[in-house]
Amino acid sequence: MKIIFRILLLAALAALGIWLWSVLFPDPEKVIRQRLVELARAASSLSNESDLARLAAAHRVAGFFSTNVELNVELPELNQHNSLTQEEITQAALFARSRAGGLQVKFPDINVMVAPGKRSATVDLTVTATAGSESESFVQEMKFTLHKIDGQWLITRVETVKTLSRCWPNSRCHFELCTAAGSFHS
Amino acid sequence: MAQNQAGQPNAGGGQPRIPRWLSIVVMGRHPKVTMVRIAVLVVTSFVVFKFILLPIRIEGISMWPTYQDRSWNFVNRLAYLRHEPQRGDVVSIRLAGPHVMYLKRIIGLPGETVAFKNGRVLINGEMLNEPYEKSPCQWNCPPVVLGPNEYYVVGDNRTMPPELHKHGEILRSRIVGKLLL
Repeated sequence: MKIIFRILLLAALAALGIWLWSVLFPDPEKVIRQRLVELARAASSLSNESDLARLAAAHRVAGFFSTNVELNVELPELNQHNSLTQEEITQAALFARSRAGGLQVKFPDINVMVAPGKRSATVDLTVTATAGSESESFVQEMKFTLHKIDGQWLITRVETVKTLSRCWPNSRCHFELCTAAGSFHS
Repeated sequence: MAQNQAGQPNAGGGQPRIPRWLSIVVMGRHPKVTMVRIAVLVVTSFVVFKFILLPIRIEGISMWPTYQDRSWNFVNRLAYLRHEPQRGDVVSIRLAGPHVMYLKRIIGLPGETVAFKNGRVLINGEMLNEPYEKSPCQWNCPPVVLGPNEYYVVGDNRTMPPELHKHGEILRSRIVGKLLL
């Protein structure tokens, strides 16, 4: 009985040690995942948000990015290859949050690849964003590059991934005289 | 001896037993066998719906009228174990993972040249017969030559401008499976 008690005690101590280790020295992959989940939460907004709450949330979103973020985004309605400051990110977040009906941002799939030195990481993720007033979601695969700056994992580069090649501004496709009417989000 | 008749309490004065008829309805005449059956069912369901038939909910109208917005279906992940994807197959295409995927139809196979001219698909310069396409439009896209591991996919609904419709070349590795129904 005494031996069993000692074994149980040792097992409990080992479990406590492992837990403490994971709290004091968290796995970078886990930390990055957690930060991205927090970013999605911060980027989402309610329909009846006050101006002050909107501003605070926009600043919170900007806090996930480094002071200068390299942007390489190619979307049908947006084509940007430049860098953004934190102030510009705050403004963009404010603009996104000002949409009527709120905004729901999610990262349903997150693949984190931490570099050997554990100072930088690349994240391949799916972004879904649904405006409260719209029935369809915006879906895009993206790649984030993060660096550990002053002990925090910050996003330094954002780029779109071309899952399907022809839905891009430079696809050279064009459209004439559609026979059906209506608005489509495909 | 304890009384095991329906609804009768134990002779020992303990807690009243569940009526026998209820026990039979819930657990069957052989509870141990039922438990094993439940365990097998749970494990089988987990394996089937996680690794073989992926349940999906279709969102959007890019596959209209073949597949309606907000309808349910399954993706057969084993469909391409014995053969490669075929032209006309409706496949699911993964993005960063399996939680959100695109649903498209394969129109171009590896090595082929795919183009759109006045709304018609041209494969190696020849018009493709597409009985599933019910809404003719006027798409024009220059020819693209597919690589050895590339397929050309597009939705059935082409009533929107091509730049608003997600279509184009994808790598074979992005195809998760074929739609079951």
